[in-house]
Amino acid sequence: MLELFLSQILNGVVIGFVYALIALGFSLVFGVANIINFAQGALLMLGAFLTFTMVRLGAPIAVAIPLAIAITTATGMLIERLALRPLQNAPYIAPLLSTLAIAIIFDAAAEMIWTAEIQSFPSPLSKYVVFVGSAYLTGVDFLIIAVSLSVMAGLMLFLSRSWMGKALRATAQDPEAATQMGINVPLMRQFSFGLAGALGALAGVLIGMYYMSVFPQMGIPYGLKGFAAALLGGLSSIPGAIVGGILLGIFESLASGYVGEGWRDVIAFSVLLLVLIVRPHGLFGNKSLDALGGASGATGGIPTTSVVASMAGATGRTKQRLIEAPLLVLLGVIALFALLPALGGSNYLLQVGTQAAIYAVLAVSLTLLTGSAGIISIGHAAFFGVGAYAAALAGRNWGIPAEAAFLLAGVAAAVFAAVLYWPTIRLSGHTVGLATLAIGQIVYLVCLNWVDVTRGPMGIPGVQRPSLLLGGIDMKSLAAQYWQALVVLAIAVTIAFAMLNSPIGRTWRAIREDRLAARASGVPVSRYLTLVFLVSGFLAGLAGAQFAFLQNFVSPESFMIDTSIVLISMIVLGGLGNITGALVGGVLLALLPEVLREFAQYRMLAYGAILLLLLRFRPQGLAGTR
Amino acid sequence: MSMSTPNSAALVIDKVNRRFGGVVAANALDFTIRQGEFLAVVGPNGAGKSTLLQMISGVIRPQEGEIRLGGRRIDRLTPEAINALGISRTFQTSRVFPMLTIRDSILVGTQVGLIGGGRSPRRYGPVGELVSALFRLPGYRASAAAAEARAEEVMKMFGDRLWPRRNDQAFSLSYANRRRLEIARALVQDPDILLLDEPAAGMNPSETDELTEIIAELRRSRPSMTIVMVEHKLQVVRQLAERCIVMSQGTVIVDDTPAGALEDPRVIEAYLGTKRSAAAFGKVNDDG
Ligand SMILES: Nc1ncnc2c1ncn2[C@@H]1O[C@H](COP(=O)(O)OP(=O)(O)OP(=O)(O)O)[C@@H](O)[C@H]1O
Ligand SMILES: [Mg+2]
Repeated sequence: MLELFLSQILNGVVIGFVYALIALGFSLVFGVANIINFAQGALLMLGAFLTFTMVRLGAPIAVAIPLAIAITTATGMLIERLALRPLQNAPYIAPLLSTLAIAIIFDAAAEMIWTAEIQSFPSPLSKYVVFVGSAYLTGVDFLIIAVSLSVMAGLMLFLSRSWMGKALRATAQDPEAATQMGINVPLMRQFSFGLAGALGALAGVLIGMYYMSVFPQMGIPYGLKGFAAALLGGLSSIPGAIVGGILLGIFESLASGYVGEGWRDVIAFSVLLLVLIVRPHGLFGNKSLDALGGASGATGGIPTTSVVASMAGATGRTKQRLIEAPLLVLLGVIALFALLPALGGSNYLLQVGTQAAIYAVLAVSLTLLTGSAGIISIGHAAFFGVGAYAAALAGRNWGIPAEAAFLLAGVAAAVFAAVLYWPTIRLSGHTVGLATLAIGQIVYLVCLNWVDVTRGPMGIPGVQRPSLLLGGIDMKSLAAQYWQALVVLAIAVTIAFAMLNSPIGRTWRAIREDRLAARASGVPVSRYLTLVFLVSGFLAGLAGAQFAFLQNFVSPESFMIDTSIVLISMIVLGGLGNITGALVGGVLLALLPEVLREFAQYRMLAYGAILLLLLRFRPQGLAGTR
Repeated sequence: MSMSTPNSAALVIDKVNRRFGGVVAANALDFTIRQGEFLAVVGPNGAGKSTLLQMISGVIRPQEGEIRLGGRRIDRLTPEAINALGISRTFQTSRVFPMLTIRDSILVGTQVGLIGGGRSPRRYGPVGELVSALFRLPGYRASAAAAEARAEEVMKMFGDRLWPRRNDQAFSLSYANRRRLEIARALVQDPDILLLDEPAAGMNPSETDELTEIIAELRRSRPSMTIVMVEHKLQVVRQLAERCIVMSQGTVIVDDTPAGALEDPRVIEAYLGTKRSAAAFGKVNDDG
């Protein structure tokens, strides 16, 4: 009993040191460049895999590690130069999405190069073991502690003594004053990304040694944990990061010891959420996260919390043309598509068409939330999943007819969205993206691990389709599924249209643009955000039910973070807050993997690249941001 | 000036303190603003004028003391709750909604009236509003149309500054027009108390005169509206205000009529410090 406890604590402390390293990378970039770097995890993965590859090619590990760290450092600096610096005039949401796109691209590229499998990582020190009572520590554990402590001490000295370190801190405190003092601020930003890359790579190598394995998707979870640690520690001090990392390590280690390994990450991400909600400035921190998206946002002269406004917009340099079709036109186009089965569309076409309609519903649902109300949602797949599971479970476990399950799925997703996103109401800017990403991961992991209800990775087969009481037509045919999906789409478009063109939609946009001004004008912000959670969740739930009916099957993998990111790419492609744009973006990106069928495995790579290029060259999207 | 008989809708600032780190922005502020009064607040940069408005409107909370409206304590309420009690404001650095059109920005000010509270006869709960907007129910549409009419009326108060540009996005507006837009957004609510933070800042002399005339006209048409105006342009204060509070380092140093307050030697000293600038103060601002 006590032994388990003791050894879990020891494990937690050791892995906590690694989290502290990741946390420092985050804090440096956050402090100097004022953005949350979602690519931090990707750099970590890169460092680990470079080491892995070099060792496999025969390099001694002592050579491979420094080399990998050097390459990752350069990569970090390159990311800043190519993916962030050109975005100075882009909308405020752009840098966040840009680092996210980088993360996706790295992830996908790594899967292509090294396959999606877990690879075993060289860990020569793990064979040395020291017993501490009945618990034990390996050589790797000692290495982690020794390396982390010396790196942190070195970093502390560097920041306080060296000219570069001082310049870095000056930039973090006041970039304008730093510029006046002759400090090259862009260079400092780039340098902070390089340092973050080095710390990330080191952490990646240590994680590889600790678990004796690495896998291409390790970036996102470890990135999130690093951020959780940084946040716990207050984002501003090195000792804070150590304490935050160790606390997080102990929490999740106890969780995995007592609840089960599968729940380790659920606990870690819940800690992240909890801190964001309860103490956004961390346990010791003084730097408030509210600074993000706050008064000095991207627009220079105009204070705004807007995620879509931009410096270029504020100075009126980009005149965007807004393309918005009237509701009747949109419904007419949907009606035209309904003719496809009559025109002899093949089963393959109908299948693809149904998928596209489902994605279009999701894009419309997300554009209300992220585009109009400005809540950056990187966890939207969660509500899609809740809808799908609700529809599947309703028939299977509770004997509810499939027709009613449709509605139930919408309502369940609406309630989940309102409850799960409620905590984000007090957050702003990039922090919301972080919180919603964590929420999406938690929902996915719960679906995966709560085997009693969801059957875990096996999924739920045999989902019954609705017959919709239309005697005569075989409602279970593929054509009927296609029509049904189009009806859902028509409903979603109508609802979204009514909302966006009513005083409610206007109020959402006002909240997005300047929350304080909206409140001072009497707008009860939490009420209107709850409303958008409900509506957006409801539509995502309908899409989820339709998806479950189409597949006759649900499993967690359809609701992974990839789906959330594809959805974001869709609405950015079309133009945020614009229904026509959401439909165009949704359909285009849903069809993309079908068009490029031979390259299906490059799908995520393509999405990442499209997102990155869009943010750079057409941040307002194809149809314009409303 | 004696504040002996505060009437029912008086705004009472009761021994209010507020510090930011070592900076004292409000130091035992203690005075009453009567209903229908036009109060100007002047003082050097950093005197705590904006902080006073921030505290009245609920954006910043006092650390000690109370603020009461008609006997009711409001300093713990949220900005939206305070606004619903009839207090509207503008910000020193204009806070417009950059991507919204002028028309939409001003209509945001009518939203409270639309959904209840405020000054609209109809009230909607959250579900009620959702259903009404979804099915475009007649009552809701009528409220929205009334709001549009009200917004038009307010835009036209500013001559052809706002109305012809009603479909332009706020970010494209000139500095002076952003100030006008903010004032319009506050006025559309027909508030009982209007808080203006340097409404004439950044306006040239003719624009300043134009704004002064608009506020004077507002004063004639709505004499019961209390106006609290922070303003550095002293001729605007002289022309509009009935009472003038001079603040320095978080405290009220003079509370008098504008003419009395602006002549007070303590004021000239606090405002400008040196003799040379005191002379400039006399010249520039008296000659306008
Ligand atoms: N949110 C804040 N955080 C920290 N300090 C603040 C904050 N708001 C105001 N202060 C400080 O409080 C003091 C009073 O500020 P305030 O804005 O009320 O002055 P003011 O009289 O409006 O000056 P100005 O004429 O320049 O607008 C200043 O020293 C200011 O720096
Ligand atoms: Mg001020």
